[in-house]
Amino acid sequence: MNLIRTELRKILQYPTFWAIMATYVLLQVLLIYFSSNMMVGGQSLGKSLYDFPNLWMRFTYVAYFFNLLLGILVIVLITDEYSYRTLRQQVIDGRSRTEAVLAKFYVTLGLAASAAVFLLVMGLFFGLIYSSDTSMGAIFGKIDHLSYFFVQAVGYMCLAMFFAFLIRKSGLAIIAFLAWSKIVEPIIHYQIDDQIDRFMPMKVFGSLTPTPGQEIIDGLTSPMMALSPAWAVLPALFYIAVLVFASILLVRLRDL
Amino acid sequence: MATVLYLNELSKKYGSLQAVDRLTLQVEAGSIYGLLGPNGSGKTTTLGMVLDVIRPSGGSFQWFGDSISSETKRRVGALLETPNFYPYLTARANLEVAADTKQADHRHINKMLDMVGLGTRSHTTFKGFSLGMKQRLALAAAMLNDPEVLVLDEPTNGLDPQGIAEVRDLITRIAAQGKTILLASHLLDEVEKVCTHVAVLQAGKLKADGPVEDILSTQDQLLISADELAPVLQLLERLPYIVKFAQEKNYISLTLSEGYTSTDLNRDMFAQGIVLSQLLVRRKSLEAQFLEITQK
Repeated sequence: MNLIRTELRKILQYPTFWAIMATYVLLQVLLIYFSSNMMVGGQSLGKSLYDFPNLWMRFTYVAYFFNLLLGILVIVLITDEYSYRTLRQQVIDGRSRTEAVLAKFYVTLGLAASAAVFLLVMGLFFGLIYSSDTSMGAIFGKIDHLSYFFVQAVGYMCLAMFFAFLIRKSGLAIIAFLAWSKIVEPIIHYQIDDQIDRFMPMKVFGSLTPTPGQEIIDGLTSPMMALSPAWAVLPALFYIAVLVFASILLVRLRDL
Repeated sequence: MATVLYLNELSKKYGSLQAVDRLTLQVEAGSIYGLLGPNGSGKTTTLGMVLDVIRPSGGSFQWFGDSISSETKRRVGALLETPNFYPYLTARANLEVAADTKQADHRHINKMLDMVGLGTRSHTTFKGFSLGMKQRLALAAAMLNDPEVLVLDEPTNGLDPQGIAEVRDLITRIAAQGKTILLASHLLDEVEKVCTHVAVLQAGKLKADGPVEDILSTQDQLLISADELAPVLQLLERLPYIVKFAQEKNYISLTLSEGYTSTDLNRDMFAQGIVLSQLLVRRKSLEAQFLEITQK
């Protein structure tokens, strides 16, 4: 509790935090609002985009892209502690190195929970206005996708956290985070068998929010070898544990 | 007397550079212990190791007879190298963060801000502070949970004369409360003015340690001259408290044994009918003494 209270003191008064969060909210609202005007195959997606219960799948799929922003925020928060030397001071003042890493892990949990709540509010807002079916059953039909999204956001931010503790410089850590999640791992995916690559971290995290309509595409062509969201939770939790543990190990073994 | 900090053969290697080389020393409760050495002699590395932010390559250390833990850390207030705070937070918010970590009573924050003279600036953000103010805020943070020991690394580095005076005054006031202070400095006169004990480091090795008066001798040198030097020399032969003397051109330089001053010499000369035309007390320069120690 003490750890969380201290983190809140630091974050809530940090202008950069609010700037990144504002960007996150604004971009996501804009994308979701205007995506109904997008043309797919000569047809406007229209208001059916906001139909319960599939709305939850679509919204979490959109939010998936913005996890990058959350990851960058986590990198900024951690590398700041190195450039201000405040991580060092906290260890001098009586905190253990493990606690220092756990404090940041709790921040990722808090951010992921906030992002999930934000999606919930936005989903209810757009859904209740535009959805053709607003029965209780429809609204809460696929709301479990919010929890898959939560796990995914934590996973992305834990990867960012690992790079931040590994590299300690914000610019380089952000580059490494983007390079791994968007370039290096996807290249590896092409090189190896689908049977194996579906268990790789970014693929697992991605499987938590599948592309809407993937079932239909799969029915027409050979199915993509990806885990179902429910199945992806287990390896995702495994990767999160590994990343947190690796971060703790890094901080414990090195000079501050 | 209780031992506050004990270092046993503590070493740190950075690649091929031996930053600290098998350092063994002991800090007793109530002392003001100076770690003296030129830049790059391993002072900060040594403090970093005993403060748990630099991992030793060899040897061990104990605080209050125990290995380091959150409990021992909270009995020590420390600032290492620079004042470390969040630039965008106010002085007060920064101390709140520090108080959380130290599990200190938040009611002490105002008292500490007043102690270091920042009571009226508590709502200024840290980045708006001058270096002297930052250093004083760091002292306030170090004192938050009323620690038994204070570890200070070059606390007056980079400050202007007024800032130096303020920080030294603070240290003396804190020491007067009976706290043990471990102070690293490359400034000889700072160590001499403030400390009771000193360890001299050079290139990571311990060159000398002990009470300040033993290590940095305060023996003064006297320069005297008179119209006639011959009777003066004769008398000096007979005076029991003259450690050594030597004639140099038109004056004589001499050292007195402990407890005697230039007054004694002047009185004895006058009693023998010798009037000195010049009596000059010259302190042996600290720099010269330091070089003597490090070149041993």
